[in-house]
Amino acid sequence: MSSAASSASFEQLALPLLPSLYSHAFWLSRNHAEAEDLVQETISKALRAFDSFQADTNFKAWIFRILRNTFLTSRTGIAASRTVFLEDHPALIDIADASATPEDHLIRLDNQAAVNQALDRLQPPLREVLLLCDVEELKYKDIALVLEVPIGTVMSRISRARRALHQLLQSQLGESL
Amino acid sequence: MTQMTQAMGHLDAEKLSAFIDGELPASESQAIQEHLADCHPCALRVLSATRLKAVTARAAQRFAVPPEALARLTAQIRPQEPKRAARIYSIRSVAWAALAASLLLAASLFVWRQAHQANALSAELLDQHLATLSSGASPEVISTDRHTVKPWFEGKLPFSFNLPDPLPTDTTLKGGNLAFLDGQPAALLLFTIHKHEVSVFLTQRSAGPIATVLPRIRSGFTIRSATTQDLHIFAVSDVNPADLDLLVSDLKDAQSPR
Repeated sequence: MSSAASSASFEQLALPLLPSLYSHAFWLSRNHAEAEDLVQETISKALRAFDSFQADTNFKAWIFRILRNTFLTSRTGIAASRTVFLEDHPALIDIADASATPEDHLIRLDNQAAVNQALDRLQPPLREVLLLCDVEELKYKDIALVLEVPIGTVMSRISRARRALHQLLQSQLGESL
Repeated sequence: MTQMTQAMGHLDAEKLSAFIDGELPASESQAIQEHLADCHPCALRVLSATRLKAVTARAAQRFAVPPEALARLTAQIRPQEPKRAARIYSIRSVAWAALAASLLLAASLFVWRQAHQANALSAELLDQHLATLSSGASPEVISTDRHTVKPWFEGKLPFSFNLPDPLPTDTTLKGGNLAFLDGQPAALLLFTIHKHEVSVFLTQRSAGPIATVLPRIRSGFTIRSATTQDLHIFAVSDVNPADLDLLVSDLKDAQSPR
């Protein structure tokens, strides 16, 4: 029935993505047992829905979207969604930018522990978009598909996430100096 | 909010992000590149954002899937087709299937590890290259003369290497530094090709396994690697890939005895 099934099997498409799905699920849930459950449920759902998968869509984006929706309907996900997330306010953002000199932007990034900590402290919705972009290397249009938001929102959110991460790093390094 | 798209305007934060993610149309990307050539503050911001992107990727890869969990998840995907017929299979065929599954799992783990390592290594190469660019500090040994640069490393590294003579057209040796790559001592050689900075890392091949297949491009920078009998050679630059290939192949040839 579907053209997707004939061009590549679910197994061929999904198997190589298991490490990525798991790692992303862990970042969403922050718990190993829950990450495995999330991926397991994602696989079951994706298997059942595979007939409706369109061969011209990005399989990775498609299955990450299922993972995300699975997380959002989980207990942790529902709790997390109660946290208010301020959507992109461009005016707010540029104030922070104006006060910094260009040299301020070149912070020392060789301190991996500081980066790990900053990423942990980043607001979950900002971290999520950054992981999809920088780690999973999805294109903006595919991230838009995963998050079910317009591509313009993806663009501003990524930019906002980077500035927030940058500010966290700066304040951390400032504290430790 | 202003959306600055003309060539002369400073990059706004969103454009900058989209630029380093390779999400802009070619014409816009080109205009930004021209702007960066003349605008030091914007160039610094791009550099900083590129480094942040690389370290974010590395930081996020901390949480790898435990092997047992991967095995369970793999099993969930794999056995779906033969399930109906499985009952009439003999024990022997089940054993064969189990063996095949475990081989497949081992293979997929291996492939994943390789990809993971290659990713980390390419991030490290790019980081070090960008650090060299941004520090503005002079290399430990500053010389365009290979007879000065090569002996400087003697006694500092557990291996030796040769430098090609002559170098490819418009390629200049600027100096060298000691570096560490993937936990191994490396000779860092700095070149320029048509004014583009190039970092070349040489490490000892016997010192341990280094991921073999690297992404050929990362955050807009070209990465090339080559292997000789004794050395791994890695080169990073934003120069035209063909020119980088030429330098790497000359370096490779220089290592084989004539």
